[in-house]
Parts: sequence; C-alpha cells; structure tokens
Amino acid sequence: MTDNTEPSTPLSENPAPNNQPTDSVPGTLQKESTPVTPTAAEISRVKPIRQVLGTGLLLGLILATLTLLAAPVLRERVFALWPDRPAEEVSGMESAKLKREVSRLERLVVSLQKRYEWLTPRTPFLIVNTSENRIYIKTGNKILHEGVCSTGSYVLLKASENRQWVFFTPRGMFRILGKEEWPVWRKPDWAFVEEGLPIPAPYARERFEAGVLGEYALEIGDGYLIHGTLYKRLLGMPVTHGCVRLDDEGLRIVYHSLQLGSKVFIY
Amino acid sequence: MSTTPYNWGQKFLSIKPVRWLRELAATYLRQDGRTKFMFISATLFPILLIFVFTMLLPALSNPLAEIPLEESQDNRKKPIEKKSAEPSPTPSPEFLAKMAELKTAEAYWQARLRLAKTRSINLSIDLVDSVVGLDINGVTVRRCKIHRFEMSSAIAHLKSQGRLHLWLANGFALQKELATLPKAPIRVKEAPKDTIEASESAGEELPIENRDVHFTWDFDRQLTVLVEQVQTPSVSGWLSKLWYGFRRTLGAAGQALLELGRLKLPQHRLWIELELTREDAKAIYRALPEKAGLALRL
Repeated sequence: MTDNTEPSTPLSENPAPNNQPTDSVPGTLQKESTPVTPTAAEISRVKPIRQVLGTGLLLGLILATLTLLAAPVLRERVFALWPDRPAEEVSGMESAKLKREVSRLERLVVSLQKRYEWLTPRTPFLIVNTSENRIYIKTGNKILHEGVCSTGSYVLLKASENRQWVFFTPRGMFRILGKEEWPVWRKPDWAFVEEGLPIPAPYARERFEAGVLGEYALEIGDGYLIHGTLYKRLLGMPVTHGCVRLDDEGLRIVYHSLQLGSKVFIY
Repeated sequence: MSTTPYNWGQKFLSIKPVRWLRELAATYLRQDGRTKFMFISATLFPILLIFVFTMLLPALSNPLAEIPLEESQDNRKKPIEKKSAEPSPTPSPEFLAKMAELKTAEAYWQARLRLAKTRSINLSIDLVDSVVGLDINGVTVRRCKIHRFEMSSAIAHLKSQGRLHLWLANGFALQKELATLPKAPIRVKEAPKDTIEASESAGEELPIENRDVHFTWDFDRQLTVLVEQVQTPSVSGWLSKLWYGFRRTLGAAGQALLELGRLKLPQHRLWIELELTREDAKAIYRALPEKAGLALRL
C-alpha cells in the first residue's frame, strides 16, 4: 500500500525560487523545465488542422455576414407563413353585443373626425410651402388665393470674427403679430456684411431703407416678416434671408385677408 | 455586352480571393472524412449561430412581444366584455373585419387629435384612403396621394387578428431617419471683403436642386416607413439610392449585432413602403422635424 501524501518526485529536486509557493503538480515539474520539440510529423499534422479550421471559419463568417444582412428579408418570409386567427376577445363575443359595439364605434369615429375637422380655422389663414415657394390663403378647406412667393435661401454666410448667419424660413405655426403699411426696413448686420460694407452703429441713418419691402409688411415674430419685393423675377425661388416675399397682388390679398392673430402655417 | 445577374455571379466567383477560397474549400471537401467534417463544422458554426439568433428565434417569436400595446383612452374607460356562459354564434368574418377597421379608425383619429395638441409638425398616413398628410396643430397643410404601398407581412398578420388598433393607439414618435438628400440644403458662402467682390458674387446663378428622393423613417414601437419616389431615378440617383440601400442594410445588421451583444434577440421592424411623387416626398421629408409624431391608419 502506498502513502498518498508522499509526492512521487521529491520537491527538493526542483525547488521553487525564493521558497515561493507553486501551483504546479509535483510530478510534472521535471517535464516543464525541458521544452518539448514537436516532431516534423506532428507539425505536418497540426498545420493542416489549423488551416482547415481557419479556412472553414473564414468561409463561415463570410456566409454568416450574408445571412445577417438577409435576415430581415428572411424573417418576412417566415411571418408570411403564420396562420391567421381572430382575436379571442372578439371571437368570444355574442353577435348582439358585437353589433352594439360596432354601432358605438361608428358613432365614435364620426365624432372624432368632426372634432379634428373643427381644428381648422374658419377665419382666413395662410399656408406657406417653402419647398415649392407657394402660398395659399384658406378658410376652412376652401382656397381663397394661391400664389407664388420666395422663402429662405439656406445660405450660411460666414464673416470674420467667427460670425455667421443661416438664412432659413422657420417652420411651424405662427400668428400675425403686427401689420404695417409702407414699411421701412431697418437693415441688420448681415445686410452690410453681405455687401462688403462696414457695419454701422445700431441706429445709424444708413440702416434705414424705405420702399424695398413693398406696400405692406406683416410681422410673424422673431424679426420674420411677410412683405413685398423689388426683385419680382426671383419670386418662386429660395432667395430670401428668412422672410416670406410676395408679389404685389398676393401681398395685397394677404394683408387684407389676415387680421392680427390670424394663423400662418409654414412647412 | 449584356450584364445579366449570371455574368455578375461569374465575375464575382472569378475574383482572386474568392477563387482562392473556393479552391481551398474544394480541396478540403475532397479529403478524408475527419478533415471534411472539421471543415464543414467550422464553416457551419458561425452561420448557424447567426441564423438561429437573428433569423429563426426572432421570426418564431411574436414581433410585437416587447412592444407596449396600448388601449386608446376611450377603450380604457369601457369595462371589458366578458364571455357569455352560453355558446354564442361565431360572428361572420366580414363583421369582424368591420369591427377591426372601426377600431383602427378610432385609434387613428385619437392619435391625430393627440398630436394636434403638440406644437410640432406631424405626419398622418392613411392607407385606407391612400393619403399622406402633413399636419400642423390639427391643420392639414399638405395632402399627398400615395401611388403605391406595400407593408410587412407581420402587419397584415396583426390586422387579421384584430389587434392592430392596440399597436396604432396614441401614434408613433420619430426616432431616426436616413435619406438620399440632406435635411436642409445649406450652401456655405464666405462674406465678401469689399463692395467689388460683393457685386461679383451677386450675379452668381442659383443651383437647381434636382436630387432623387428616397428615405427611411424609424419610429418607436418598431415601425419603419420607407418612402420612394414614383419617378425613375437618374444615373446619379441610382448610385445614391444604392449607397442609401447599403447604409440601411448595414445599419439594420449593426443594430441586430448590438442587440445580440446585449443578450437580447433582435426585434423585427414592421415596415410600410410608400411611393410618392418626388416633390411630395421632398416637401414632407424636409418639413418633418426631428421629434415628429405619426398617426397611422391601415
């Protein structure tokens, strides 16, 4: 009978340096100290195995990537095969109850639709289409006037001292906040920068210019105006600094149709 | 010389790395059983892994399993109908279809009313009337005709179950978009140094924007809306469409991998594809802000 507590190879044969504990199995200590040199036959056997696995994995990864890219389309095909079944809550209902429910829903849908339609103003309002540079004056669903306009050019003007402006017409719902006849334009800084002129003081005389905004101007907030123009040939094109420019006739109709507080929808 | 898909396939297979891989694979498949088995196993392992986790399991699970299906406010107030103890005659399929249609219509109008309260520009898609509407505070400022539409078979499946209204209730919120055209056509212009330079640049011609329009909107609750233009794209349009399609496919694959990395099954996105005129598509894409809402009727 052998004593299991006794190591088969004494530790003293290969002591750990500086008496540090070692996790190695005592019997393998001798083996680890001498490097194993694989034979040529072993190398020739291992190399092809690695090559086979590597090539297989590479090919597999390429095909897996293709599967991943095609997965949404393949899933669609599977969903198309699903059987249809009616919802349990409905299929269990009595016919009489179902009929009552249907007539209740019909009434509800009609009332919801009417509630939504009432959101459209019954007084004249203006719609500005910045994509095609057109305007529409409407009351309810009726078009009162349709015409051409010019909106923001989307030019990003870069000046010195890191100053820059983007000329776009804001989108959303606005209200007419002010109306003016024969407006005078107070030129902002960018108007001088764009012309290569020095910027004057905030209330300098050269800032004010009459006649360039047409006969009327309607204010919609944040300095944006609906006004006329001297450059009629550019109407229908995105050329403005953010304001909405109209032709003389359109401007007159807009000015007389819209009141203070009237809605302006820009998209 | 005609270029058929067959020719493209031949060309692809004759590319040097592909040919090398093909020849190597053929060599291994001709070798003894052990090598052949190891090669096939190594090839199939990643394919099976991707197939099971991105295709099979998500396809077998309910596509809306993780989507919170909401009852509209009106339906929430109403007590749930209980099953009768006596056997009731099964309602006709037409009657059930009508009921499902009404519920969907209710969800649509409720969603539009809810979105009308926001100050944002919102979208409404009515596939029953084939109309897309751009709404601002409850006023439809643009109405566009849908020339053709197609939708995911998973949506059709939900529709047949009469559960569609739960998914449509309260509308959807826009999360991400991808397009062949920029959201804002910004042109950079350097300020002129003097009046001479300013007068020279004043005569510059305005660039005419004539891009082809294709875009994708990803909404919450796994809805994707794809919009294509009716007009046949130009040559440059084809290229940009190809690049856009590539980015979209790659994005979906990346998202699937990301979800797998989080130890979640990739969720199948329910899609609707619409065909609009180029002008309508462009106007709607440019007008819709980042945080827009959508009311949908199917």
